[in-house]
Amino acid sequence: MLFKIAGFEFRYQLRQPIFWVAAILFGLLAFGSVASDNIQIGSTDNVHKNAAFVIGQTTLFFAVIYMFVVTAFVANVITRDDETGFGAIVRSTPLRKFDYLYGRFFGAFAAAVLAFAAVPIGLMLGAVAPWVDPETLGRFTFSHYLYAYLAMALPILFLTSAIFFTMTTVTRSMMWTYVGVIVLMVFRTTFGIILNKPGMEHIAALCDPFGFGAFGAATHYWTPSERNTLVPAIAGDILWNKLIWMSVAVAILALGYRLFNFQSAETSGRSRKAAKLAQAATPDKAAPAAPIGGLPRPVFNGATLWGQLWARTRLDAVQVFGSPAYFVLLGLAALLSVVNLWLATDVSAYDGRVYPVTRVMMQALSGAFNFFAMVIAVYYAGELVWREHERRTQEIIDATPVPDWMFVVPKTLAIGLVLISTLIVGIAVSMLIQAIKGYFNFEIDKYLLWYLLPNAIDFVLIAVLAIFVQALSPHKFIGWAVMVVYLISTIVLGNIGFEHNLYNYGGGPNAPLSDMNGQGHFWIGAYWFRLYWSAFAVVLMVLAYGLWRRGAETRMLPRLRRLPRRLMGPAGVILALALVVFAGSGAFIFYNTNILNDYRTTLGTEKWNADYEKKYLRYETLPQPKITAVKLNFDIYPHQLKVVTTGSYVIANHTNAPLRVLHLRFDRDLKIDRMDVPGAHLQSNDQLFNYRIYAFDTPMQPGESRTISFATTREQRGFKNSGNFVDLMDNGTFIHDSVLTPQIGMDRSGALQDRTKRRKYGLVPELRMPKLGQPGADQLNYLRHDSDWVTSDITVTTDADQVPIAPGYRQSEVVQNGRRTVHFMADSPVMNYASGLSARYAVSKETYKGIDLDVYYDPQHPWNVALIHKGMKAGLDYYQANFSPYQFRQFRVLEFPAPQGAFAESFPNTVPWSEGIFFIADNRDPDRVDMVTYVGAHELAHQWWAHQVIGADEQGSTVLSETLAQYSAGMVMKHMYGRDMMRKFLKFELDSYLRGRGGDVLEEEPLEKVENQQYIHYRKGSLVMYRLQDEIGEDAVNRALRHLLHDFAFKGAPYPTSLDLVKDLRQEAPADKQQLITDLFEKITLYDIKTTKAVSKKRADGRYDLTLTLDAKKLYADGSGKETEAPMNETVDVGAFDIEPAQKGFSSKSVIALQRLAIHSGVQTVTMVVSRLPKIAGADPYNTMIVRNSEANVTKVTTG
Amino acid sequence: MLAIDKLTHVYPNGVKALDEVSLSIPRGMYGLLGPNGAGKSTLMRTIATLQAPTSGAITFDGIDVIQDPEALRKTLGYLPQDFGVYPRVSAYDMLDHMAVLKGISNAKARRETVEYLLNQTNLWDVRKKALAGYSGGMRQRFGIAQALIGDPSLIIVDEPTAGLDPEERNRFLNLLAEIGENVVVILSTHIVEDVADLCPAMAIISGGRIVRQGGPVALIDELKGRIWVKTIEKRELEAFRAQHQVISTRLFTGRTVVHVLADNNPGEGFTQVNGGLEDVYFSTLTAARKAA
Repeated sequence: MLFKIAGFEFRYQLRQPIFWVAAILFGLLAFGSVASDNIQIGSTDNVHKNAAFVIGQTTLFFAVIYMFVVTAFVANVITRDDETGFGAIVRSTPLRKFDYLYGRFFGAFAAAVLAFAAVPIGLMLGAVAPWVDPETLGRFTFSHYLYAYLAMALPILFLTSAIFFTMTTVTRSMMWTYVGVIVLMVFRTTFGIILNKPGMEHIAALCDPFGFGAFGAATHYWTPSERNTLVPAIAGDILWNKLIWMSVAVAILALGYRLFNFQSAETSGRSRKAAKLAQAATPDKAAPAAPIGGLPRPVFNGATLWGQLWARTRLDAVQVFGSPAYFVLLGLAALLSVVNLWLATDVSAYDGRVYPVTRVMMQALSGAFNFFAMVIAVYYAGELVWREHERRTQEIIDATPVPDWMFVVPKTLAIGLVLISTLIVGIAVSMLIQAIKGYFNFEIDKYLLWYLLPNAIDFVLIAVLAIFVQALSPHKFIGWAVMVVYLISTIVLGNIGFEHNLYNYGGGPNAPLSDMNGQGHFWIGAYWFRLYWSAFAVVLMVLAYGLWRRGAETRMLPRLRRLPRRLMGPAGVILALALVVFAGSGAFIFYNTNILNDYRTTLGTEKWNADYEKKYLRYETLPQPKITAVKLNFDIYPHQLKVVTTGSYVIANHTNAPLRVLHLRFDRDLKIDRMDVPGAHLQSNDQLFNYRIYAFDTPMQPGESRTISFATTREQRGFKNSGNFVDLMDNGTFIHDSVLTPQIGMDRSGALQDRTKRRKYGLVPELRMPKLGQPGADQLNYLRHDSDWVTSDITVTTDADQVPIAPGYRQSEVVQNGRRTVHFMADSPVMNYASGLSARYAVSKETYKGIDLDVYYDPQHPWNVALIHKGMKAGLDYYQANFSPYQFRQFRVLEFPAPQGAFAESFPNTVPWSEGIFFIADNRDPDRVDMVTYVGAHELAHQWWAHQVIGADEQGSTVLSETLAQYSAGMVMKHMYGRDMMRKFLKFELDSYLRGRGGDVLEEEPLEKVENQQYIHYRKGSLVMYRLQDEIGEDAVNRALRHLLHDFAFKGAPYPTSLDLVKDLRQEAPADKQQLITDLFEKITLYDIKTTKAVSKKRADGRYDLTLTLDAKKLYADGSGKETEAPMNETVDVGAFDIEPAQKGFSSKSVIALQRLAIHSGVQTVTMVVSRLPKIAGADPYNTMIVRNSEANVTKVTTG
Repeated sequence: MLAIDKLTHVYPNGVKALDEVSLSIPRGMYGLLGPNGAGKSTLMRTIATLQAPTSGAITFDGIDVIQDPEALRKTLGYLPQDFGVYPRVSAYDMLDHMAVLKGISNAKARRETVEYLLNQTNLWDVRKKALAGYSGGMRQRFGIAQALIGDPSLIIVDEPTAGLDPEERNRFLNLLAEIGENVVVILSTHIVEDVADLCPAMAIISGGRIVRQGGPVALIDELKGRIWVKTIEKRELEAFRAQHQVISTRLFTGRTVVHVLADNNPGEGFTQVNGGLEDVYFSTLTAARKAA
């Protein structure tokens, strides 16, 4: 019987449109994810589009969103019978409850599973699409698709089917099933966020109902070649995850059996109703008498209309507020926001933390809460428009003497009220979290102006569109589907080059926020777009009014015929006015976005870059003069968002041959007011690329110098469609010289990186750096090809109430006509790397050992000023003692607004730091890495490693700057906090490095050949240098660095390479550490070191014998991640502790013993004698080595 | 005075729900009797401005209902055949809401209206309870309460007693009977007793056409001496139908009671009876179906 029912149900489902719609939709999506560049799920560039990993991840992803379809399949298989009234008949047959329930379930489930087969089929077909770049594809392996479908997707389908089937069958309400979908999503997201922490991978893997966590944990550190060919084995976390959640699914199904009442829903409902009424009938007030003179007569005037408007709005709003779904949605939004808001203060860099300032909280709120606000807008637009129809009150309401507009207007107002209330709840939650985090500076004005107002308008716009769509749509579900398609289309359109907000409904440029700058000028453009779209929304509302289904007529044509009559009178006037505002504001916007500014799309910019490269990259190696002296004058007009630059370069021919041409490049958006190249004429002026070629009338002879001068203007005129220029701000200008001044000759900055894109535009697939040691490459430094060391003279002028800053010493300061002019000069040659800053700063000054240490900060962010001073002093002391003297008499740190980025950058004696993380860093928790000191020390170290020694532009260049700056900062930290506390920091670097390996778009290089790959020069660099100084001694490393400085500081070409550093290190390292240097710098070396057992035994002398069982392995990897095992024979730290390193409460007092012991490949035991009974012991406890399974390095000690 | 002139309504699927319906409805209770699917609700909805007819005209006291539905709505009370309620809204609140929509914007006037009507419809004790929990009869009484707001001069009541138990039906008809004689009340129903109990004037609609109209008494009089009754076995019915003009049959203690229309005694075993409205109705329907 079970099978008969299941078979019947299966065939029934196959005849339903949902089956075909789902199969086609998901098949297309899967096909597109392979065959289209615009849909990309989990594939990075050097992983094939049909890699086993990508198939797995894509299938998982689709299986999860498929749950919305699953509900349509399984949820109503039982309630369907109640709705049709067929249930009573079915239940009166001698059918067993078990067969009925599970027969239906399995039939529907089988249909859902069959429809999902469209995903693997779509993926397979996508891979054979003829236009797919064959380089992005690997070998076709059927079993990978089968694995993904059976092992990864089916369990999800089963779990979601079981949950939603049970929910609907027990509650007999589809609504609770939708609620269930959301709960499940939120559950998964919340735990995903909370458990997204190192050390929590196992719990996260088990807790994730969809198995993403387990899949992620198993493939976490996979290299590209592993991702291409391997599927994770169904064992360990993956197996447990499946077992746990399959049991949950079975349990839920069983629960459904118990709770399902095998009798008609109607009967039970009726008896409940009667009981309720019996309880209700309690007279509480004397009944009133008839009014004298009969019932009052209606009055129709203005007051009546207001009363009706308010009554309708109130009823609609109350219906939303009162509905359980709204509470659930709001609750979920609040819950998810709590998680987001709580984590908003965790910034990823070094597990640091920032203060919950309003801006940060608002951004976190926008992430979670706004999604729900959008769901509420779209969902309730459907509910409200169709409410009267669904509740069957429309005949009563439609026959009342309310005007026709009394439907669409109150419903829009009601949704507006709901949305505003929703946003206010979000703000309340945000302030609550601020309070819990001990932050009481509640900036209501910012919440209102930065969050509530813009979001309320934007969501009401979406709601109006949804109402309009619903008013036209023949069914609520069709209306919702149209809205979902619309929301997806907004994303897709952007991806395929349709980015103009003049046709993306509700779109507009965002207004980046900053405490320093507020919304600056950015709000202006954003609100012009809001005006434009609001006018359009009014048009939509008038049309929705005109086409509203009043009465029994639901067909479109008669409603269209009725439209003109409804548009007569005020409605037509409003329509006309709205169209005028729409057209007028649209014209003004077009003037701003397309005439004052260039309208650019992402694709257009890509093509521009590609064309630029095609046309000019061939001049990369053309001999050109070098800049030897720079004189600049930045006239900053902060409120006009404008910088006028005048300047001159002294250029010299350092080549051995005469130079006949001068190539000058300017930033794409820079206006060139004047360019003087004496003794030369303009041979070509390419305005598309802002590229000029001058021909010297008399060639420049070797050794000859000339002076060229220029004047440029960079300004933000009006507003753009998107990507407004953020470098210029009312308060907080921070602009690089490279966007204001000419550069000589061509280089690769701005060239496309992505291999697929490069191929698409017919460029060579990758633009690699010159090889390490390539002859001639050491003639150029990697910062600027057109300059070696230069003399610098910069004058900055700004409004008198702001402080202007540029690299160099302050020479003079003049205030005149409301403008402040400051002249900066460096007294020795510097790197040609400058910027101009201007803001209303507070300044904290200190003189330390003859050096002026200044911090320029926004008065709202005073928290870390003292810490920055402390870090600067510690850094100066260490670097001057161990490297060489600091080359300037001043060092200053300046705050710049968050929209310009979350980084710090080292210019000569000047370091701008972002408002975004450093100035609002919260260092109150001593258990966290002190990122202010760390990043400060890193930037200060660049005054040596970049501004004294700069790498040649070839592989390994950034080792000499970034890696050495990481090392220097690491040493400052080690001396400030102690060696035992370094694990936290090293573990972060280790995890970042291992993760970075998996996502590399090129290939992994050994450290000495790094090609500007951040995970190598920063993350691996830290680990390599730390281990090196651990093994050969800090002094030996510093001696090598001093030697490097001695040979290369402040010298021009030939520039040093990483080979010079390695040579100096080898010089200082003993013979038995030479192989270590090879492993660290010249190879990609990885270790697996596991402490499997630690047993302690009390000795006669009261001390303990500690015996550790270790399993060690050493591997070399090639660029694509292929590994070969190598014999391991080196010394490793082995330690015994009271508390696990880096855990709460750990300090140097927790260290019982730490010894360096010889470890070889394979399983082995080592013993040591310790003074007291340890709790935790293991090898490499501080993570100084690149161990892939760094969680397994220590273990609990047992007594034996 | 409601005048309906050649009202025709054709649905998109080609069904002619109303076929040149012309009626003239005076003040007082007017019964519109017809079987399911005869076009009653289409007619009611069209009069209630919820549906535009394919052709024809409706005027009420000088209002052109089709051209100016807004004017009619100001004086209309409408109880649809089937209506629902909003969840979580009490009778009091909903009636208050309806009063606002119907133009009773003065708060005091509205309170008077709402309280009076609640009392009148015997819903006073349960006024604060959610409408969703009401029984069918209570819901119909609420329906009539909302239709009476604002003292309308045209009241349309569509199939109000369908599905009510006899007691509730009685209570409801009593309520209707209290409505003043100066307004037009159209009671559409397929239950003959509703009309017989209440309406001094009536029409019978079938297949979208008005097939009979007049006062119930006059209509019954027309049948005087022409209704004959005989009790027969069920198996005889087929043969019987061929011989006589059967207008209705019903079962009584397992045997079939047959009403036959004939000017003279149709034969053995027939008794002449005084026809009721039911006989008028069924004979009209039979004739109409034959004609069609």
